[in-house]
Amino acid sequence: MQRRRFLSLGAVAAAASVLPASLSATDFRATAPKAWDAATSQEAIEAMFGKVAMTDGQIEIKAPKLAENGGAVPIGIISKVEVTTVAVFQDANPRSAVVVFELGEGSVADLMTKIKMRKTANVTIVAKGKDGKFYSAVQKVEVSIGGCGG
Amino acid sequence: MKIKAKLKDGVTEVKLLLTSPMAGKEEAEKKKIEVSYIAHVTAKVNDKIVWEASTGPFLSKDPYFKFEFKGAKAGDKVVIETVDNKGKTDKDEAEIK
Repeated sequence: MQRRRFLSLGAVAAAASVLPASLSATDFRATAPKAWDAATSQEAIEAMFGKVAMTDGQIEIKAPKLAENGGAVPIGIISKVEVTTVAVFQDANPRSAVVVFELGEGSVADLMTKIKMRKTANVTIVAKGKDGKFYSAVQKVEVSIGGCGG
Repeated sequence: MKIKAKLKDGVTEVKLLLTSPMAGKEEAEKKKIEVSYIAHVTAKVNDKIVWEASTGPFLSKDPYFKFEFKGAKAGDKVVIETVDNKGKTDKDEAEIK
């Protein structure tokens, strides 16, 4: 058993060493570097996913309408359709892309994170469905005290 | 890093709190600190990726995540691996309760 475990670990290590330094299957920082430099949500979304048609109404954003602390604005995302990729963009900071989630097999599309927003702006969620279609949602968040060290 | 994994009605809910200033270029200049942020996070259960995130400096300081998945059982381990903008990695795990 020990030996078998050791051998399988070796195989994993060998496979990992072939890949670039990234830990994961899909590193969006590596595959879409331009998207992370884009200033506006529209540019960032196009750089990450291309010019794609979006369907509204399937993604729910749970964010405060008025955020008191722009340093940590809670953003909840719930999808009614099965999705594989969920990306968060905003227009409050120097660059738009915040985070891209990849959901594995068996994932439930009920996510939550906290983002920085230094001013009032729109938060845009773009999700890629298992059906290959793209879904989006937008919500404006008012910020009374900015984050981002401001 | 703090990881909490709870199983309820077949769905495992993970709450994850990482430690990082998540400082991008502008924030680092203003605060006179080095640019430092977590760039990627992976969550695995039984060697299978259940969730991952490509992250950037506009997540809050000490970023927080919640995610859910099916198919794991109590006692399974959630393994979290992170890599920052300089390639420094970190790893921790928690048992699903």
